[in-house]
Amino acid sequence: MSSHDNMPEMSLYQPVQVEDAIGIATELAGRGWLVGGGQDTYGWLKDRAKTADALIDLKGIESMRGIKETADGIEIGALVTLTEITRDPIIKERYSLLAQAAGRVASPQIRNVGTLAGNVSQDVRCWYYRRGLNCYRAGGNLCYADTPEGMNREHAIFNASRCVAVTPSDTGPALVALEAQMVIQNASGQRVVPAEDFFIGPNLDIRHTTILRPGDILTAVRIPAKWANATFYFEKVADRNAWDFALVSISAAMRVNNGVIEDSRIMVGAVQATPRRLTSVEQAIRGKPRNESTANSLGNLASSDANPLNYNHFKMPLMDNLVKRAVRGQA
Amino acid sequence: MDIIRYRNNVWGEEVILGVSWDLLWVVAVTAFLLLAAHAIFMAALAKKKAKPSSEGKRVNRHDAIDRAFHWIMAGSVLTLIFTGISPIVGIRISWLNIHWIAGLILTFVVIFHTIRALFWQDFKSMLLGPNDFKEPFDESVKPGKYSFEQKGMHWAMTVLVIAVIATGLTLFTHIDSPWWERPSVDNEGTLGIFFLLHGTATLALIAFTAIHIYFALRPEKRFYTRSMVTGWISEAEMKENHDPSKWKAE
Amino acid sequence: MTYMHIGKDFTPPDVEGKVTGAARYAEDFKKDGMVFARLLGSPIPAGRVVSIDASAALAIPGVLGIFTADDLPPAPPPSNPALAKEWVTYIGQPILAVAAESDHLAEEALSKIVVEYQRRPFVVDPLDTLTEGGPDPYPNGNTLIRNAGEAAAGTTASGTDVGRVKWSIDQVAAFRAGREPVGAQFGDEWSYGDVAARFAECSTVIEEPFVTIGQPHHSLESRTGMAYWENGKCYFHGSLQSHTVGHDALSAMLEIDPANLVFINENTGGGFGSKIFPYPMMAVTGRFARKLNRPVQLRITRAEEFYIGSARSGMQGWIKIGLKDDGRVGAVDVAIVNDAGSGGGGSASSSAEHISIMFQPEAMRFRGLAMYTNTTPRGAQRGPGQNEMAAVLAPMIDKAANLAGVDRVAMRRLNAPRMDGKIGARQGGISSSYMPEAIDKAAQMFNWDQKRSLPREISATKVRGIGVGQGFHTAGSNGYDGLIRIAPDGTIYLHTGVGNLGTYSYAGVVRAAAEALQCDWDNCVVVHGHGDLNLPHSTYQGGSNTMFTETRSSHVAALDVIQKLKEIAAAEFGGAADDYSIGGERVFRTSDSSKGMSYGEAAQKAIAMGGKYSGMEYPDDIHRTTVRSVQAMQGTGLIGVAKDTLPRSGAVPGMAIAFCEIELDKETGKFDIVDYTAVAECGTVVHPKGLRQAMNGGGIWGFGMAGFERHVYDPQNGLPANVGLYQSKPPTYLDVPVHMNTAGNDMPDPQSPVGARGIGEPAQGCAVAALMSAIADALDGHLFNRTPVTADMIINHVAQNGFNTGNLKTNTF
Repeated sequence: MSSHDNMPEMSLYQPVQVEDAIGIATELAGRGWLVGGGQDTYGWLKDRAKTADALIDLKGIESMRGIKETADGIEIGALVTLTEITRDPIIKERYSLLAQAAGRVASPQIRNVGTLAGNVSQDVRCWYYRRGLNCYRAGGNLCYADTPEGMNREHAIFNASRCVAVTPSDTGPALVALEAQMVIQNASGQRVVPAEDFFIGPNLDIRHTTILRPGDILTAVRIPAKWANATFYFEKVADRNAWDFALVSISAAMRVNNGVIEDSRIMVGAVQATPRRLTSVEQAIRGKPRNESTANSLGNLASSDANPLNYNHFKMPLMDNLVKRAVRGQA
Repeated sequence: MDIIRYRNNVWGEEVILGVSWDLLWVVAVTAFLLLAAHAIFMAALAKKKAKPSSEGKRVNRHDAIDRAFHWIMAGSVLTLIFTGISPIVGIRISWLNIHWIAGLILTFVVIFHTIRALFWQDFKSMLLGPNDFKEPFDESVKPGKYSFEQKGMHWAMTVLVIAVIATGLTLFTHIDSPWWERPSVDNEGTLGIFFLLHGTATLALIAFTAIHIYFALRPEKRFYTRSMVTGWISEAEMKENHDPSKWKAE
Repeated sequence: MTYMHIGKDFTPPDVEGKVTGAARYAEDFKKDGMVFARLLGSPIPAGRVVSIDASAALAIPGVLGIFTADDLPPAPPPSNPALAKEWVTYIGQPILAVAAESDHLAEEALSKIVVEYQRRPFVVDPLDTLTEGGPDPYPNGNTLIRNAGEAAAGTTASGTDVGRVKWSIDQVAAFRAGREPVGAQFGDEWSYGDVAARFAECSTVIEEPFVTIGQPHHSLESRTGMAYWENGKCYFHGSLQSHTVGHDALSAMLEIDPANLVFINENTGGGFGSKIFPYPMMAVTGRFARKLNRPVQLRITRAEEFYIGSARSGMQGWIKIGLKDDGRVGAVDVAIVNDAGSGGGGSASSSAEHISIMFQPEAMRFRGLAMYTNTTPRGAQRGPGQNEMAAVLAPMIDKAANLAGVDRVAMRRLNAPRMDGKIGARQGGISSSYMPEAIDKAAQMFNWDQKRSLPREISATKVRGIGVGQGFHTAGSNGYDGLIRIAPDGTIYLHTGVGNLGTYSYAGVVRAAAEALQCDWDNCVVVHGHGDLNLPHSTYQGGSNTMFTETRSSHVAALDVIQKLKEIAAAEFGGAADDYSIGGERVFRTSDSSKGMSYGEAAQKAIAMGGKYSGMEYPDDIHRTTVRSVQAMQGTGLIGVAKDTLPRSGAVPGMAIAFCEIELDKETGKFDIVDYTAVAECGTVVHPKGLRQAMNGGGIWGFGMAGFERHVYDPQNGLPANVGLYQSKPPTYLDVPVHMNTAGNDMPDPQSPVGARGIGEPAQGCAVAALMSAIADALDGHLFNRTPVTADMIINHVAQNGFNTGNLKTNTF
């Protein structure tokens, strides 16, 4: 067992145009590795837990930077850092849910270099997988975490399919709540995919967490005006208040009129491999006043069909509690 | 190109992971080339025979329940093959549950078929004997109910289906199901051998399934396919292809 | 007492380098021709190396060689070998080192080396190996035994061997379930008083199980070393907490005369007990350099630091505590099974010692056993034994006090050690204790009387918890040397062999010499960190030891200087030495201050006079390390050198008391520490800022111990989950209060010339205890009986879903 802390020797491409990056990525296919802020990348490569022949550094592509207003909301460049999101006046004013979520990612140092695209595209944090073990997600035949004695406190309580890792992204659930659109470019052109469909679970593809395939580049995230200035609730519970991944997080967007919830999108993070939408909760609170009573009436609706592992039963009450807090509007 | 995939186990020891899926393409291309060659040979060089009439008296070849077994088996096998190879070739479908459900259906149908064949059917009609091996070399020797090729295909499929079922059921015990939770794996190498056997049997099954379908669609064999749908062949078809003394048709 | 320097803030000389980044650590040193060595670790938790094939690696141009266990003296169990061969006992255990012209090449070479292993059964839970029929971590057993001085061949720990202890399934089941394992065999036992009789007198008796989980040290500076050989001498840049005390041990590791070793270690990025003495890997660095005849940097990665960087021992135990009607602790019975990891040790007796001094029970029994497991080697970590006991004991003591109807703080004050306090098995005395006064001071600072009556419920979801906890560690020794040189220009060189482990104590202790010499601090130079700078034999730096021990040796060296100054003055101006005084960096006739000379002039005279004045002669009782340093400085000034032979008796207790107020959110299991107050009972405060640093740093780590940090091992395959720093979860800036109120009790210890005792360890112990106490208080006295208490456990408890009630185990969630 060797331990490394040097980057392996590999080629480095630094395109300044998206088209060039796509060309390189398409040509290299599975042998190329897209890198933005690098906060997920460098650990994998330095640990030799994953390898690639070449890095395609996207940071020189100006068109993937910046936050701009569009006819129907805003468009956030894929390379916009999490710190920039927390400080952007438009996002803070209209989409504070995203600003809050971005502001709870990791640590200030990581937020300063970590990008929005990286945060939503990052790989799962299951410690067995990150160790470089040949588990299902790494192309192997088994899961080390979901066994009678597996150490799976941080793992999934919903929709596990052989792999029980959870989405580590804080901004992912917020983007799905805001009905964001993910702009993806490849050699065939551009396609726009709802954030809800962007994330995929192990049942569909156990090796990937998003629909991105080799040659695809997530170039921007569009947030429609639909949920602008809505009532938001974000909370992330992690062991530590900085530099940690969520045990459970909640991102809720609600339209509240005269105290009544007219519409909502309630998303939970870190309970399954993708952001989990709580449609049953959304339906249950539609037309109800946003108050303690409505919150309490939910009981354990959110977690009722959970399938916990050995050590993560706590995620069920925690998730129910966070849903209640979102619905009543206070911690 | 690798034949077998190897990976390190949790302790860094190299163990078998499974069959190399490069072989999937080898199997696909090889089967296609062989069948294409056969088709060309049959079209260009084989002696043309007059096709017996499907009109006239009908002879029952397959009971309804057997036809149902066959098509359920066929559906299961095709579903298993499709769901099994979809993640390998990059098709994103939620395949696993469909896969094991199809596998269980196949298992039950195979069990039923076996019991029925042993006790309610003319099991001997499917047995391969020394005389069967004369068939391909002597046009005068006609088979009973099942030809040498049909018996060969049947037994090949039997072996392969039992192999995929046996290995598949073993692998099934290693995933969560409605009846149990997955256990710890004591020996990753052993698990890998089961994956290897399952994969190898699957590759062979794919090849034989392709051959089976090909022959089912060939013009001179299509009446057998029809019989698997309708249950009968014509007396002319029977006399042309079978020895009535060996096949006591009902 | 009014001091010039003691009790005054100052800027230690290394601060600027730390702030600007100019400070250099072992890894920062390069040498012409230096090559890079890297380690290959074991991927298996137990077994042996069958063969090593490095031919492919050695075929790479620039790869220079490998270094294996065969290049080292044999180190059979129970020693912790630098490189394993026959006894591989944990995942990550180093098997070999490979050296190359570049770091990249060395890493590439690692991937080309093929090691064949033979696996053996393994175990990660100490109670699993203790159970009859359970697997053993070593082929020949599961625990350390002492065999009356007969050392196993080649072992470093003479008189020890690996033996086997097993309990019946029923005994282990009882122990896991929190009952006394009646009749079970232990390795270490002591008692005093009539335990049964005292329990019979108690009106409140509680019995509780407890578990603490070990945690890696994860020193920020990994133990990278660089060594090179010149003219038969080894120059070694390393990372130790202590400095000169390790000199002989490191020389022995390299099998050289101590005079031929130059150990250089100006700054150390944390050790926390894991770098007190030279560690096995240093032998590889030095010997590999000699083998290759090239400077070698053996770099240790973050993950390797987890594996070989030591860890706190986890413990599993049972305790019975009896309180009398008045709240006095009548009797305590405690049984502890430690997880010693691989080749490490437990600290159960120290845990019991914490109870014995903090609560002064009238009678007490302790039984302990340290079980090896196939996990990382365990060793001393800040308050080993005492602090984990403080952590789990605090809520249990609260429970007992509440049952007895006694205020929790009043109960602690009642039982606290006073000047006549006793400690441990032999019930020996202590140098001093003003713990009741410290408790009073802290309670007043925290406003305990007001806070204890505050409502517990803050809102529908938040509850308040207030807690109190104590920390203790023996904090002082004696018998080390002080060394001072006054140069002819009057500069005062305060030599210390104390390591610079980040606490500034290396500078703090020599302030005692400056105090005695009544000199301007600006005229003093602290000489430390480099073996060529002529350092004295100083104390090991562990156990809150430095401040007491080294202010004494600094003081005696200063007394020697003063005596010599006076004798030189007497020789110059006549009369007896006693006729002279010092002041203003002059020595002068007491009756006529005009008859005197500056320290610089005296130094010039000393050189002229020779003999003991300029180091040509020196005391017989000083350590050979000090002798070499004095010899190297002979004739360069006035040399003051002495061994600390000041009187000392009893244990020197470093103690602290802390209070904690938290707001706990029952819906999330999270809590905020809204008030933290701690008072150190550490004698006279020598360096107020240094004390604050120690109390804050220890406090924060205490919070981490209470709420976040732990080893996690997968019992199926022996894999550790938290080799990375972020996975080990030390507290962050958002997990600790912005303000921490700390103070010193500032009452002098009579056995220290400046009244000082140490405080390193108790700073953590009091914090973890106070926080554990506060968590229990917030949850209506609920005992988790373990540390850490993580958010999931609190959520499960509040939800009453029954998932905290499984068997308590160390090393797993």
